[in-house]
Amino acid sequence: MSMIEFKLNGKPVAFDGNPLKRLLDVIRDDFGITGTKEGCGEGECGACSVLKDGKLVTSCIIPVGAVGGCEIITIEGLRDTPQGKCLVESFAEGGAVQCGFCIPGMVMAAEALLMNNPHPTEADIRLAISGNICRCTGYDLIVESILLASKKGEGLW
Amino acid sequence: MVNETYIPSTLEEALKLRAEVHAMPLAGGSDLMVQYRRGTGVVPEFPFPVMIMSSLNELKGIKKEEDGSVLIGALTTSAEIASCEDVPFFVRKAASLMGAISLRNSATIGGNLGNASPKGDLPQPLILLDATVVLQSINSTREILVDEFIKGSKKTALADDEIITAIRIPNVKYTYGYYRKIGTRKANAISKLSLSALIYVEDGIIKDFRVSSGAAGPKVARNKANEAKLIGKKLEDIPALKEDILNTHDQTISPRAMATWRRNSTRRMLDYFLSEVAKGGDEGIIQ
Repeated sequence: MSMIEFKLNGKPVAFDGNPLKRLLDVIRDDFGITGTKEGCGEGECGACSVLKDGKLVTSCIIPVGAVGGCEIITIEGLRDTPQGKCLVESFAEGGAVQCGFCIPGMVMAAEALLMNNPHPTEADIRLAISGNICRCTGYDLIVESILLASKKGEGLW
Repeated sequence: MVNETYIPSTLEEALKLRAEVHAMPLAGGSDLMVQYRRGTGVVPEFPFPVMIMSSLNELKGIKKEEDGSVLIGALTTSAEIASCEDVPFFVRKAASLMGAISLRNSATIGGNLGNASPKGDLPQPLILLDATVVLQSINSTREILVDEFIKGSKKTALADDEIITAIRIPNVKYTYGYYRKIGTRKANAISKLSLSALIYVEDGIIKDFRVSSGAAGPKVARNKANEAKLIGKKLEDIPALKEDILNTHDQTISPRAMATWRRNSTRRMLDYFLSEVAKGGDEGIIQ
């Protein structure tokens, strides 16, 4: 089996192993980037959300063999961009984080939303994070923080 | 024994692999990767050779044909289907309610049909519309009704050298349409029950009536003899015929778990649709 080459957070990488390995495990174990979390392992909780060619996907249900030639962005790739900084600051300012386990996935879902809809309504935000489960906050502060990001980050998206 | 995994880069190569080693196509992975997962950090193990289909761009996309039918490539995702205006309402609506955004960006129509789960979201509206599935092998192509393709729970008519390449949805006219899915959570809910129905009226006469039920038995339930009871009738005839149609549809479905709830809810949904249509209100989708 040949190498699987793709871009991870902007850098070209190659994976030489079983193509059925979950993208989540490859990101965490093979590339040592651990911001992406595993929650349910069946694509229902959103903790492992990453962007694949700009689209939000759950990395626990994607075999690495399916991302050859793709651009994968994790929370680490987003963190240092102006958009990522704005989201992180807004989440902190809005008190969106309690235990924090769901937050990388929440931030990726927020980024996926704002890329397509820079001025979302509260309903848009609730829909955009509907695949992301948080067991601490009750969601309201997360929704408010994403609204805050869309205001503070005027022009970024 | 460890089964080999393949990543074909053309349909031709995939068809060859399918014929030679009967490799199972893995499309979005949202069913298969969950079914055969083995936990954190452990590679999923499949009891058969697998081919990862994601590179086959020729199986992606939606095309409107001259006769008004819509041809959807097997690797088209639910998100693409949900956002394409060429796709009929019933299928778009079902696609838009599948999983959550992230799942809809992965899950494909070919995978949803190939997996043939009784709770799959797309077979129900596809069977309502008499959609067909295009099955290709190295030497032949055949096109059969989705209703014939899905034989039962997780059972299909796919031969071991065939690949689902596309789904064709005919242009079905309707005056009134209805789609309802019941799940336990707004996002990422597996269907507990679903129902689609349509009625087409021309010059005051009902020309077409269809109803299909999902997650109410091993496969999608439709009864054309029951549907025929309304053909040729008028909207004002519906109240007199309704009870018989509801009873026959109830006999058509075959739920096992929570059978009473599934039967009662199915009856209520169809009753609601027929009652609303009988009022003869505005044309379109009954909410």
